[in-house]
Amino acid sequence: MSRYIIRRLLQAIPLLFIVSVILFVLMQNMGDPIATLGGRRATRPEDRARLTRQLGLDKPVYMQYLYWLVGNDWDKFDADGDGVPEAPGQRQGVLRGDFGTSMVNRGKPVWEVIWERIPNTLLLMVAAEVVIIVFAILIGVYSALHQYSVADNVITAVSFIGYSMPIFFIALLSIYIFSVKFQRWGLPYLPSVGMFDPEVGKTPGQVLKHMILPVFSIAFVSLAAYSRYIRSTMLEVMNQDYIRTARAKGLHGRYVIIVHALKNASLPIVTVVGLDIAFLMGGAVVTERIFAWPGMGRLFLDHVSRSDVPVVMGILMLLAVAVVVFQIITDITYAWLDPRIRYD
Amino acid sequence: MSGKNSRLWLLAVLLLVLALAACGGTTTEPGSTTSTDTTAEQPAANEAAATTEETPADQPAAESTDRKVATFIWTQEFDTLNPIYTGMWFVSITFDIWNAPAWSFDKNDEPVPVLVTEMPSDANGGITDDGRTITLNLRDDIKWSDGEPITANDFVFTYQMIMDPANIVQSTYPYDSIADVTAADDQTVVMTFDEPFAPWMTLWRYLLPEHVLRPVFEAEGTLDAAEWNLAPTVGAGPYVFDEWESGSFARFVRNENYYNDPPLIDEIFIRFVPDDASQTAALQTGDGDLGTFIPYSDVPTLKDAGVNVISVPSGYNEGWFFYFGDNGHPALQDLNVRKAIALAFDREALSQNLLLGLTKPAATLWDNTPYVDPSIQPYPFDPEEAKRLLDEAGWVDSNNDGTRDKDGVELILSHGTTIREIRQDTQAVAQQQLADVGIGLDIQSYDADIFFGGMSDGGPAASGELDIFEWSDGPSVYPDPDHYYWYCSEIPTDDYPDGGNWQRLCDEKLDGLFALQATQTDFAERQQTFYEITRYMFDNVIWLGLWQDPDIWALSSRLQNVNMSGASPFYSIAEWDIQN
Repeated sequence: MSRYIIRRLLQAIPLLFIVSVILFVLMQNMGDPIATLGGRRATRPEDRARLTRQLGLDKPVYMQYLYWLVGNDWDKFDADGDGVPEAPGQRQGVLRGDFGTSMVNRGKPVWEVIWERIPNTLLLMVAAEVVIIVFAILIGVYSALHQYSVADNVITAVSFIGYSMPIFFIALLSIYIFSVKFQRWGLPYLPSVGMFDPEVGKTPGQVLKHMILPVFSIAFVSLAAYSRYIRSTMLEVMNQDYIRTARAKGLHGRYVIIVHALKNASLPIVTVVGLDIAFLMGGAVVTERIFAWPGMGRLFLDHVSRSDVPVVMGILMLLAVAVVVFQIITDITYAWLDPRIRYD
Repeated sequence: MSGKNSRLWLLAVLLLVLALAACGGTTTEPGSTTSTDTTAEQPAANEAAATTEETPADQPAAESTDRKVATFIWTQEFDTLNPIYTGMWFVSITFDIWNAPAWSFDKNDEPVPVLVTEMPSDANGGITDDGRTITLNLRDDIKWSDGEPITANDFVFTYQMIMDPANIVQSTYPYDSIADVTAADDQTVVMTFDEPFAPWMTLWRYLLPEHVLRPVFEAEGTLDAAEWNLAPTVGAGPYVFDEWESGSFARFVRNENYYNDPPLIDEIFIRFVPDDASQTAALQTGDGDLGTFIPYSDVPTLKDAGVNVISVPSGYNEGWFFYFGDNGHPALQDLNVRKAIALAFDREALSQNLLLGLTKPAATLWDNTPYVDPSIQPYPFDPEEAKRLLDEAGWVDSNNDGTRDKDGVELILSHGTTIREIRQDTQAVAQQQLADVGIGLDIQSYDADIFFGGMSDGGPAASGELDIFEWSDGPSVYPDPDHYYWYCSEIPTDDYPDGGNWQRLCDEKLDGLFALQATQTDFAERQQTFYEITRYMFDNVIWLGLWQDPDIWALSSRLQNVNMSGASPFYSIAEWDIQN
């Protein structure tokens, strides 16, 4: 197993390199980072020329990538615009652990920009994922065991409604009902945006209360797919010989379902969850925006809209690494769930 | 490990992660650095709201009753708080809250001395006869929030930092017009210019604390990565910076060393809410006390919820820029065609219907400033006259395809703007109304960072790909009327791709008038020059105004004593109050 893991990690190196090249080149077409620096007005020509030079955007794309990868402390650039490079570069490059500084939050290291958001994103997304998995298992197993019953049909209908709704609609609708309307009707209502009420402070209770609507929105649209998936895999497993054998041996029904059926049915689900967990790091772009949740999704959107290449590259590379790592973990989990699987 | 145990273990780990995450991070309690005001009574209505809001888990709610906290909603998060590194409007308007402008502007956009004893003028000797030297006399009681006095050296330092190439500042304008800044003594700042500089009031809208930042500059050789940029804990406004949590909020608390009367509100809490609809919901529910950039379509909803909506002219006017370049559409070179476009587009109806009557058509790029020739009125809606002018110009529908043409060229104009909803709606209306007089409009919309891209980055407006381009703009630094992108020298070329004259208009008369106004330090003389500029641009339809674009602010009924200025919205923030 350890040889397998080492092999997979080594394979990831060229993969990440190729990913970084592709992303960097694609990002050159994202927009002009100088364009929005002027705020409500277009950036003045003198400032545009100066900033382009000082930020190194006048260099060819391959040089910009090289600086990003290995740094520019071996090179000099023209800071004062006299045509003579005199100022030494300050960047050390990704290979030396320096992802550069944000163009938007000028001077702030990229990792600091990203790191500040990860706890908020994990808080929201892990909570949502737990809710999704727990409810999906409950609903999926119940539907499988009561196939074509009234409850199953109702659950199926609700699932499809949830699945077919765009998340922005669910999110805005939930704010409208549970915040705006509930307040107007004099009912206990939920906060609409943010992580806490400034008059109360950032207490765990406040944060939990502010999480309810975003978690509900994420869970509602994702629950449908998960529960349907579990339902179908459970139905498949429940018809297997070993389930019948287990029952014939006189094992308790709930024990058969949980230990024999659900464990085997969860194998394909682990694949989906493994991929999802990697993307948890990326946050929920739409949900975080609507609920003003300070997570990675919003960070990505904010910095993409201002063509902040260093931060966007940092986020995407983090996600790429997360996908690689969680795929390896998923493979290991397969072996744990199904002893027949061997990697060595 | 049995299967049952491992599942329990997995569940326990998940719950632990959730619990840790919920309890993790800094637990921020408000008011950690300020005194509290216990005098305010809480209205009954708000007591009810407070009761319904709380869950049993929210015991700290009891602490909240006495503090006066005003929650502002910003749809864009700060990029940095160091004034020299940002061009963001959402940042610059906070300078009156926590920084130290030399002067501010009141609700009539008249200058109000803040750090200076009086506004320099010819009469008081603050401006020399040749207009090349301006002297600022500072108050002797002004100090930073850490108690250090504010002196002329802070002005000199600020100037030096903006102009030093070691700092990658957002803009050197208007400081690059100054030849030198010196400190004659602690309370006297002397600015000298090579030429008289009429827009001098655009200077000193903020100040850097030398005693905090000079050591950083000397140690690091630049201010680019100074901690103060993101956490300016030393300021000089009625409030002082306390905390900025990325993506979430920024908090400003009462400045205990403020040299004027202390502010009435304890804390200004700025919450970053990027989504327009969410901002509206937050204002409706009371999760925000102030918001801006309110979509016009949301105004009735807010008013129904008891939120006050006010519009404050800030010098911006939405309008169309025409492309006059040699390779542009020949029709736009013809004044009659440009006039016909103005007459064929019902901008009054646009203001009433799409903008809900909250604004009115703009006639010039300087509307709502004292620099517009008062005899100018927007072009009326007169499609018949538009058709007559087009006929007269030789643009007729010779091939009966519904669009006019001349010499084999169809009168179809490309029109581009950003993806802002109101602009896209306007495009659709314009397309329909111009089609009624036989003008085709090929409409495009772009993300802002693409639309405003320079020529070397392929920006569609800068590259001359559009016949008409639309956005909202105003003077370089409102309320000063100066403008830079009408000069012939600003036309982008291969040698000068960053030129700002994207309309490629080179008009000698206009060039001369703009150069003249920039040197006229006498208000009346400069006003007369601008009368001429506005009349000339209006008569020749060089720029077509769509609507005056004031800042729309939503204010909860809890906020009191609110006066706002277009140039510096929070000039009187210390006098604002809020009902708990």
